[in-house]
Amino acid sequence: MDKTIFETFIGLEIHIQLTTKTKIFCGCKNSFGDPPNTNICLGCIGYPGVLPVLNKEAVKKACLLCLAMNCKLNEKTFFERKNYFYPDLPNNYQLTQFELPFGVEGYVDTALPDGSIKRVRIHEAHLEEDAGKLMHEQNISMCDFNRAGTPLLEVVTKPDFKTGEEVEAFLLNFRRIIRYLGVSDGNMEEGSMRCDANVSINYIGKGLGRKVEIKNLNSSRHVRLAIHHEEQRQAKLIKAGETIVQETRLWNDDKKRTESMRSKEDANDYRYFPDTDIPPYIITKEFVSELNSMLVELPLTRRNRFISEYNLLLDSAEFLTEEKDKADYFEKACKEGADPQNAAAWIKGDVTKVLNREKMEILSSPLSIERFITLLDFVGKGKINGQTAKKVLDIIITENKNPEDIVRENDWEQVDDSGSLMPVVEKVLAENSTAVNQIKSGDMKPVGFLIGQVMKLSGGKADPKKVKDLVMERISAL
Amino acid sequence: MEWNKILSDKENKKRYTEYVNEWENKIHSFLEFDLDRQAPAQTAEQNVLESEKESATVRAAQLISGMPYAVKDNIAVKGYRLTCGSKMLKDFVSPYNATVIEKLNTVEAVPVGKCNMDEFAMGYSASSSALAATSNPRDLERSSDGCAAGVAAGIVPFALGSDTGGDVRQPASLCGIYGLKPTYGSVSRYGLVAHASSFDVIGVLSKELTIVESVFNLIKGKDEKDHTTAGYPLAGKSLSQKSVFGYLGGDIGLSEPVKQAYKNNIDILKAKGYGVKEVTFPLLEYVTPVYYTIAAAEASASLAKYNGIRYGYRSKGTDSPLELMKKTRREAFGDEVKLRILLGTYVLRSGMKEKYFIKAQKIRTKIIDEINSLFKSVDLLVLPVFPTTACKHNDAECGNRVQEKFTAIANLAGIPALSFPAGIYDNLPVGLQFLAPQYEEKLLFQAAEIIAKEIATAVPNAPGFKTIEEICTAGR
Repeated sequence: MDKTIFETFIGLEIHIQLTTKTKIFCGCKNSFGDPPNTNICLGCIGYPGVLPVLNKEAVKKACLLCLAMNCKLNEKTFFERKNYFYPDLPNNYQLTQFELPFGVEGYVDTALPDGSIKRVRIHEAHLEEDAGKLMHEQNISMCDFNRAGTPLLEVVTKPDFKTGEEVEAFLLNFRRIIRYLGVSDGNMEEGSMRCDANVSINYIGKGLGRKVEIKNLNSSRHVRLAIHHEEQRQAKLIKAGETIVQETRLWNDDKKRTESMRSKEDANDYRYFPDTDIPPYIITKEFVSELNSMLVELPLTRRNRFISEYNLLLDSAEFLTEEKDKADYFEKACKEGADPQNAAAWIKGDVTKVLNREKMEILSSPLSIERFITLLDFVGKGKINGQTAKKVLDIIITENKNPEDIVRENDWEQVDDSGSLMPVVEKVLAENSTAVNQIKSGDMKPVGFLIGQVMKLSGGKADPKKVKDLVMERISAL
Repeated sequence: MEWNKILSDKENKKRYTEYVNEWENKIHSFLEFDLDRQAPAQTAEQNVLESEKESATVRAAQLISGMPYAVKDNIAVKGYRLTCGSKMLKDFVSPYNATVIEKLNTVEAVPVGKCNMDEFAMGYSASSSALAATSNPRDLERSSDGCAAGVAAGIVPFALGSDTGGDVRQPASLCGIYGLKPTYGSVSRYGLVAHASSFDVIGVLSKELTIVESVFNLIKGKDEKDHTTAGYPLAGKSLSQKSVFGYLGGDIGLSEPVKQAYKNNIDILKAKGYGVKEVTFPLLEYVTPVYYTIAAAEASASLAKYNGIRYGYRSKGTDSPLELMKKTRREAFGDEVKLRILLGTYVLRSGMKEKYFIKAQKIRTKIIDEINSLFKSVDLLVLPVFPTTACKHNDAECGNRVQEKFTAIANLAGIPALSFPAGIYDNLPVGLQFLAPQYEEKLLFQAAEIIAKEIATAVPNAPGFKTIEEICTAGR
């Protein structure tokens, strides 16, 4: 699409499954992946006479996210019935908020890859119940109501995005925010975060175009690709003098294109009206101050603080603040005396590598802050060399042992006294006269090889720097 | 012989069963009846009663303990069907108890049967029931809802009904018994199948005022399963000689017998030294349209859950879920239900909502304001219940819709109302009702007591009615 002629407007509707212990309107377990219809009660399957009872934890988590998005909280809210027939919707109406949602008029800041900050306005955020799931097998359809009643927060942004890249960066940041707050795990593949995009394009300066809603976007990458595709498709139509049909389209990831699902004419008239089974909900000052005490520093703010406070590079700060646990771990280690640069490098490098391999989380892994600091200390004081430290780290995590025990049991303490190293150096030099001659004639290439040989003979315990000094000293003396 | 012991004596139970069968062949008030069902053994719930230490509750428990009672078939009783008078739920057996049933279980009252009713409680005389036609025990050519008929025939000492726009009070008054519509939110709706959630309330029907009051005292109170319930305030107003009753003057569209009964009863109150005051209620003519608009809108959503997917009637031979839902609803709902769903869907659709639903809500607010301001100048209101005496079967004209205008006021405003027998005119009972501010049920019982003392003899029982004492001694 020619960006000198057209501009794009993108708004998002994001559904987040809140991680509450129980469902939004009953006491059933709110969990993903259990056998069909095991987490259900009479209310979950719409039995006559059963009434909804609002889950306060869901309200709390919804409002917490609203505050984190800088939304105003409506003082009085209520639930409404959104009427439509679908086999997986137990009451054939969905309890949701319409006229007075929990949060309105907020914004979220996101750092874009070019370093600039993008502010996206939040139109509103409302709490509602999720539906069940339909499964089809040959010519029968089956309903699973485990998901029915999962609390969902739907966040609606203003059409403030200009590119698919902005949207992708926003979604990654947004996912971090909800994970920082602990309100959702934000997993798009599993559907705990779902995103629909409203895309319209128009000639520059002409305002919003006619919007097309895109659904079935299961990752932030799909969102970006779908927006790109939609921009091309709409631009081509406009150039050809055709009008854009206001419709809902589905992203087909196999064919990498959007496909028409239904036009506006087929859209439901949802006939919203207040549900009176749940009385209006009043947000009190005490509730808001409780929420404020639950708020945490958000990823972008924390990243910037890491750069200024710990003198980290953008790259490292970005990495460390991806997940709250990782950032917390890093800060605790620094507070306990670890060198920030060193700690950052280790966490970003080998620690993450081993944890990922072992499928462990940093806070619950055997690498306690205390062990981590001991390890860094050993390296810093030259007690073990870098290569040994990596081996020690691996054992701490896989065998849940203390670093001092590992070093002692394996006799890995670094050897750096000339007295015990010199015989080994002399042995290696004697056995590799070709290399020695090469070096003597000015070609330094084999130095590394010789050091390697000494390290090998010393069982990896030698201090490499010391070995190099000894090798050079010995050769020049020959 | 007393009601409390009838089920524990084999001989008496047999005579009682014969009596029930005799009546049932004529009036068909029950859809299901089972005397061998005993209340389940009591558990922790009984402590609730003891801890309340409210003497009224303790007395109530003693009176109601062990009594058989009937339940309208839209209130869930575990193991009984929950048909709601509809083909849709004809074979649906409830797996759980409504909160009111649980509460009565604690005093070991026994739900012996489920009563016929209008389909999903849309009506007042069970004439829209898809499952049976119930006759009024006062006159078998006339119709009645099952609860009122069963109580008036002496089959049970009381019944639990539901009142959305008058469906406890209207049949009660047409059968010559008491019918209480409690304050909205004073009795849990958990287990009551919704017709219109902002109006629905479970009520009590009985020939005895003390039974109505006792049952109410047992079933009222906050329930964690129903958000709209509140703790019932212990202190309420009491009637005194200074109390003033408001009544409507002028032509309010009453048939001759009802007009006479209205006048006579107001005269009784006056003669007893109470203040009576003519009041005006300019919004009276808006009551029925507002009630129908909002109740139909709510019903259109409340009844959406019946689609043949999870339980109840399921249409055969469909090849898609959507078709299954459509055909199921087409085949299993009756005309009255369909009419109200269509009406409710219409008043909520975009473009119409502002014009009808929102407007009706605004008028509802005005009606509530008007009622509240009336209660500044009077303590109670006394109003007709139904503009005529009981209608004949299939009398479409008699059953036309403006007849909710006196009863739906209490539902629109969420206030309590008690219909009471006010005399027999042309051989048919006429009922009137007292209305009081929210949570002032006690005023209603005390006011009804005044009338009861004066006209008890003027309201004889239905022909063929026997007391439980008579039933038990008859065969000896």
